Amino acid sequence: MSIDTEVAALRKVPLFSGIDQTKLRLLAFISERMEFQDGEDMCVQGDVGDSAFIILSGEAAVVVDGEHVATVGHHAIVGEIAILCDVPRTATLRAVGTTDVLTVSKDNFLKLLKEFPEMSLEVMRVLAQRLEKTTRDLADAKAHS
Amino acid sequence: MEKSLFRFIWKNSARYQITILLITCLSYPVSFMLLDLPKQITNDAIQGTAFPREVMGVELDQIEYLAFLCFLFLFLVVVSNGIKLFLNVYKGRLGERMLRRLRFDLYQRVLRFRLPHFRKVSSGEIIPMITAEVEDVGGFIGEAIALPAYQGGMLVVQLGFIFLQDPLLGLAAISSYPIQAYIIPKLQKKVVLLSRERVRNVRVISDKIGESIGGVTEIHANDASAWHSADLSDRLYKNFRIRFDIYNRKYFIKFVNNFMNQLTPFFFYLIGGYLVIKGELSIGALIAVIAAYKDLAAPWKELLAYYQMTADVNVKYQTVVENFDPQDIYPLERIKGEESFNLDGDLVMTNATFAGGSSGQEVFGINLTAKSGKTFAVIGVDGSGRTEVLQMAAGLLSPTAGRVEIGTHNLEGLCEATLGRQIAYVGGSVHVWTGTIRDNLYYGLRNRPLDEPSKEHASSSEYRRWMEEARATANPEYSLDVNWLDYDRAGAKDTEELDNRVLEIIEVLGLSKDLYRLGLQSVIDPEHDAELVQRILDARHVLAGKVQTDPKLRNLVELWDIDTFNASASLAENLFFAVPKDSSLQLEDVLKNKRAVKFLEDTGLDERLVEIGKQIAEIMIELFSDVSGDSELLDTYSFIKQEDLPEFERILRQMKAGKLPKKTRIADRNRMINLAFKLVPSKHRLGVMDDALQEEFVKRRKEFRDRVGAENDVITFFDNDTYMPTLTIEDNLLFGRPRLDRRDARQRIDEVVRELVMELGLRQPVRRAGLDYHVGVAGSRLSAHQRRMICVARALMKSAPITILDDTIAGVTETDRELRNGIRKLLEGRTLIFGSTNVPVKDEFDAYILLENGRVSSFS
Repeated sequence: MSIDTEVAALRKVPLFSGIDQTKLRLLAFISERMEFQDGEDMCVQGDVGDSAFIILSGEAAVVVDGEHVATVGHHAIVGEIAILCDVPRTATLRAVGTTDVLTVSKDNFLKLLKEFPEMSLEVMRVLAQRLEKTTRDLADAKAHS
Repeated sequence: MEKSLFRFIWKNSARYQITILLITCLSYPVSFMLLDLPKQITNDAIQGTAFPREVMGVELDQIEYLAFLCFLFLFLVVVSNGIKLFLNVYKGRLGERMLRRLRFDLYQRVLRFRLPHFRKVSSGEIIPMITAEVEDVGGFIGEAIALPAYQGGMLVVQLGFIFLQDPLLGLAAISSYPIQAYIIPKLQKKVVLLSRERVRNVRVISDKIGESIGGVTEIHANDASAWHSADLSDRLYKNFRIRFDIYNRKYFIKFVNNFMNQLTPFFFYLIGGYLVIKGELSIGALIAVIAAYKDLAAPWKELLAYYQMTADVNVKYQTVVENFDPQDIYPLERIKGEESFNLDGDLVMTNATFAGGSSGQEVFGINLTAKSGKTFAVIGVDGSGRTEVLQMAAGLLSPTAGRVEIGTHNLEGLCEATLGRQIAYVGGSVHVWTGTIRDNLYYGLRNRPLDEPSKEHASSSEYRRWMEEARATANPEYSLDVNWLDYDRAGAKDTEELDNRVLEIIEVLGLSKDLYRLGLQSVIDPEHDAELVQRILDARHVLAGKVQTDPKLRNLVELWDIDTFNASASLAENLFFAVPKDSSLQLEDVLKNKRAVKFLEDTGLDERLVEIGKQIAEIMIELFSDVSGDSELLDTYSFIKQEDLPEFERILRQMKAGKLPKKTRIADRNRMINLAFKLVPSKHRLGVMDDALQEEFVKRRKEFRDRVGAENDVITFFDNDTYMPTLTIEDNLLFGRPRLDRRDARQRIDEVVRELVMELGLRQPVRRAGLDYHVGVAGSRLSAHQRRMICVARALMKSAPITILDDTIAGVTETDRELRNGIRKLLEGRTLIFGSTNVPVKDEFDAYILLENGRVSSFS
C-alpha cells in the first residue's frame, strides 16, 4: 500500500475533486494511515470531530444512538465537514473487520489551505455547488409540500 | 576588611613581599657584574697586556683568561635569568594566591550578609565585583613592594653618583621632579575619580543585563525591547565617554612626563657646558653625569608607571571592598562555627520587633510561645508581618529589639551549625538547586564533610598540594569528594534507608506519581544498580510474553525482535538493529565507522539505500518545493529542510547524469543514504520499500553485528537480554515501538506498562531512579508546585526539632488540608510553626496568633 493508492482514494472524494495531483499527494503524505480492528470506534457520536476518515479497505458501521443505520465501505469519506468547522460527530463510526483508514486531520488540512489559496477556492467551489443544490432541494421540497 | 589595598597586601603577604625584595636586591650585583664584564673582556682580556694573570691562585695566559671571563659571563647570564624566572613565577603565584584569598573572603562576606541587606544589593553587581573587578589586583600584588623599593634604590644610587660629581648638576637632574611630583598626582586624581565612575557604570550595565535576562518574559510581553536597548546603549555611551576621558588624561600625563624627562638634558648641556667652558668642571665629569642621567630615566619612568598603576588598582580594590563591609555583617563565627547542639524547649518571642524595613515588612512587640512538640499557626495576610515573624523564629532575621529564644538559648547568638540543623524553614519563595532531585532532597543533610579523605588520597601529592594552597590562602580545608551526607540525623543507616525515608515523605507530599513518571523517563547507568537492571529485564520478558499471547497487545506494539522487521522504526534502526552509544550521537553517525561502511559496500546495501534516498528526495522535492519556507508543514513532515532542497536537486540531477563531482561524491551519496535511514515505513507510506528489501534487512542484521562488533564507539546493539544504557527505563521495559498505524497506541501501551510495573513491585525502584532526575537550571525542568514540594521534602528530611513552613500548602482546599494532615503526622512530637494567609486554617493547630499590620491582633 503506498501513497498512490491513497491519492486515488482522495481523488474520489468530491470535496477534493478539483485539487491538483501534487497537492493531493502532499495531503496524503501528511495524513495518517490507521488500521482499526473489528469493533473499534473511529469516532464517537457527540465528540467534537477533528478529522475526516477515508476508508481504504474494509467497512465501517454508522451507528446513531446505538442503532446501526448504515454501512460505509471502500473509498467512502466520512466526517469531512469536521475538517472545515467544529461540529459534534453526528454518528459513531465502528470498524467491521479489519479496516484500513486514511485520517485527514483538520489542522493539517487547514495548514494546506493556508499554504495554497487556490486549494481553498476549489473547496469553496464544491461547497457552493453543494449549497446551491441543497437550496434547490429545499425549494423543491417546499414547493411540493 | 582592610580598607586600603596596601594594608591588605602587607597583612597577608609581608613575608613573601620581603622575600621578593631580598631576591631582587640579590639580583642587583649580578646584573651589575653582567654589565661590567663585557667591558672587562674587551679592555682587559682582548686588548690587555701583562699576562699571565693570576686568578684565584691559578696562572692564566691570555686565551685562557679570555675563556675564563667568557664562561664567567655565560654563568652570570644563566644565574641572572634564573633569578628573573624564579622571581616572576614567585610573584605570579603570590598574586594568584592573594587573589584567591580576596575572592574567597568576598564570597564568604556575601554569605555573612544579613537577609535585609540583600534588598539593597543585586547579583548583577556582586558577581563582576568578585570575578572581573579584582582581577587586576592579582597582577599587581607581586610588584607592590619590590618594585618601588628596587627602582627607588636604583634612583637614589644614581642620584648619589651625580651629586658626588657635582651638586649643582645633581640639582639640575632633579629639577623637574618637584614639578612632576606636583602636577602628576593632580592629574592622576581626576583619572582615579573617572576610574571609580567607570567601575560603577560597568556594574550598572551588568546589573541591567542581569535584570533583562531575569525579566525577559516581561520585556517581550510589553514590547519593551526598544526601551531596554536604548537604556543599555545609553549606558554604553556613558562608558565610552568615561573611558575616552581616561585615555585623554592618561596619555597627557605620559606626555608631561616625557617632556620633563627630556627637559633635564637641556639644562645639563646648558649649565654643564657653561661650567666646562669656564673651566669649573671637567668634560669627562659632564659626560659621566649625562650617562648617569640616562640611567636615571629608566627607574624614574618605572616609578611613575608604578604610581599610576597603584592609583588604578587601589581605586578598584576600594570600590569593590566598600560594598562588602556593611555595618551589621554577621560575625564569621556564625557561618564557620562548628558548635552544634540540640535545641529543645518552647520557642518564645519576647517583645520581638523588626523595624527598618519598608512598610509592610515590619513587626512590633510580638510575644508568643510555641510549645515544644506542639503545632502553632501564624496567620496574617501578606504584609502583616507574618513572614518576618517566621523568619525571626527561624533565626534568619534578627529582631531589632526584643528576644527570640528556644529553651535557654537566644537565637541571635547561635551559629548556623545549630540553627540550620535544628530548625527547618521553608519560606514563601523557594530555591531548587541545579542538580538532581536527590541532591536537592539531601541538601539539608550536607553540612560538613563527615569523612577524612581516604589514606591513599590524603598521602597523594595532588592532595597535599591542594591542602597547602588552601592553607596559604585561608580557604576552607573541606574536601568535596568525601561523604557529606549525615545519615544519622535523618535516622538512616545507609543510602537505601535514606532513599526509603525520602520516598515516604514524597508519598505524603503527593509527589510519588510525578517521581514515578520522571523515573520511567530517566536514563540510568546499568553498572550503578545491577539489581534494578535485572528486575527491569525480567519485566521486559514478562511483557514480551504478554505481547506474544495477547493479540490486542500485539496490535499495539512492535517489539525489537532480531528476526522481524519493525515497521514503526526507521530503516537505520531496522538495518543496524541498534541505538547510538550516547545522547550526543545519532544513528547516522554509523557512517563514520569504517567497518560499517565496508559492510554496506560489500553487501551492495549502499546502492539500495542510495536508490531509496533518491526516491525519497524526488518525492520531497515534488511535494514540498512549492511550500513556503516558514510553513509548519515543512518542519513537521519534510525529510529535507527548505534551504537544502536546491542542494538535493543538484545531487539528483548529477546522479541521473551519472557524474557526481569527485570531491563531494561520498558526501552526496551519504546524504542520500541518510535520507533513506530516516524512513519509517508505517509512517511514511512512500512506496519505496518492498517486502523483499525488508527481509534482506532482517537477514543482514546478524552479519552486520558480527562485522562491526560490539566494541565500536558509535552504537549499542539491541539485545533482548541486555539493558540498553542510552534508553529510558520505560523504553527498556517496553523494548519495542508503539505501532504508528494504531490510534493512541502510545497511551494504551503506557497503561499496560504501568500496570505491569505495579504488578511486579517495580514502582519503588523506578521512583528511586526518578530521584536521579536532573532538575535543570534552578529547577527549571520542574513545575512550580514540584519545586515547592521538593523544598518541603528537603525540610522534612532534616528531622529537625522545629519545622517552620510559611505560605506553603496553606490553602483551604481539601488537597492542602490533607497534605497538612500528612505533614503533621510526620512531625508528630516535634514543633511545627505554620504560616498561612487563611484564617480558617488556624483551627487545625494547637495554638495560633493572628497578625495585622505587624501587631498581634488575637491569639489563643
